[in-house]
Amino acid sequence: MKAMTGMVLLAVFLAFFSVHDAAAEGPVSRFSEYIYAPGDLKAVDSTLKVRVGDRAPDFTLPAISGADVTLADFRGRANVVLSFIPAAWTPVCSDQWPGYNIVEERFRQSEAVLLGISVDNIPTLHAWTKQIGGLWFEVLSDFWPHGKVAAQYGVLRSDGTAERALFFIDKEGMISAVKVVDINTRPPLEYIFQELDGFDLK
Amino acid sequence: MSFRSTTSVAVVVIAAITVLLSAARFVTAETLPEIVVTVPESKEDRAYLGLEKEAGETFNLAEIDADILLIELFSMYCPYCQAEAPVVNTFHELALQRQEKGTTIRVVGLGASNTQFEVDHFRDTYDIPFPLFPDKPLTFYKKLGGEGTPSFLGVLLKKGAEPEIVLRQTGGFDSPEEFLEKLLESAGH
Repeated sequence: MKAMTGMVLLAVFLAFFSVHDAAAEGPVSRFSEYIYAPGDLKAVDSTLKVRVGDRAPDFTLPAISGADVTLADFRGRANVVLSFIPAAWTPVCSDQWPGYNIVEERFRQSEAVLLGISVDNIPTLHAWTKQIGGLWFEVLSDFWPHGKVAAQYGVLRSDGTAERALFFIDKEGMISAVKVVDINTRPPLEYIFQELDGFDLK
Repeated sequence: MSFRSTTSVAVVVIAAITVLLSAARFVTAETLPEIVVTVPESKEDRAYLGLEKEAGETFNLAEIDADILLIELFSMYCPYCQAEAPVVNTFHELALQRQEKGTTIRVVGLGASNTQFEVDHFRDTYDIPFPLFPDKPLTFYKKLGGEGTPSFLGVLLKKGAEPEIVLRQTGGFDSPEEFLEKLLESAGH
């Protein structure tokens, strides 16, 4: 009798897990497997060092394209939007910049260039931007001296990552708008369009 | 009881339990939760969904006048959703053609973590012909058990019965034709 009870219990166990396993065979998101989820982070962890009306601090940073990009080179030629992100391979960043792939024309209409900036090094940014399908704008590495440009603008966090922040710089090199958002969220697209509208087209 | 008869009883019990549990999986229908969105401004969208309500009012997706509803969970920011957009448009065209054969299929998109502005930009960029609704707080995404974008839920809408989720797919579909057949088959059409 004991043997039979044991067999029945085994049967129940096997039957239950055969169903459970089948359910677990469901689709797994193939998009997030390389993304590291840092959890909910402190919304903002730095203090801005620039404000609207200031001249944007100049910098030269290496881009994943191989070029060295200098902010002052755009003076008199194009408006500039700097998009700082916290880090490659993290959830919000990985679906922020790909969204900008469908607003390229809107930047052109405002005679603006978009420069993405991250404190990651070039090889990391190269691999990550490939994985997210490529980007039309220059992606700059603020890796070394670590976060120097982020610190100049006051968006370097205490853990060495950057804030999720946007700086709008007109053709005179003056800051026309600044937005530092909660690091756990994306700046809404309407904000970007609104500030692009604000650029003086000369 | 001999060992042989004990084994026989156990085998019968295993078989019976397995059959019962397997059957339970098929008879336990997954009901579409209430997804309440705003009636579209566009007259064409309202006609497409078969809604009698006025723009600005709200409706539950189960109120859509169709036999089968395909819900796409997408995000304007998701590169895979961008790549999938033309494929889903083709699916929509094929689905409309099924109307001639007596099956009404409707498609709607829910923009996970997207604002209305972002959803509108996505629609304009890809000329999306079916209604899209924002889901900025991810309420619908969570209610529907979203597992990434794009993903799709096929829902069987039967008059007087609970709307039943008959198909779930995470990730895009390569062939709109094959996906349509899969959806029809899942819905028993």
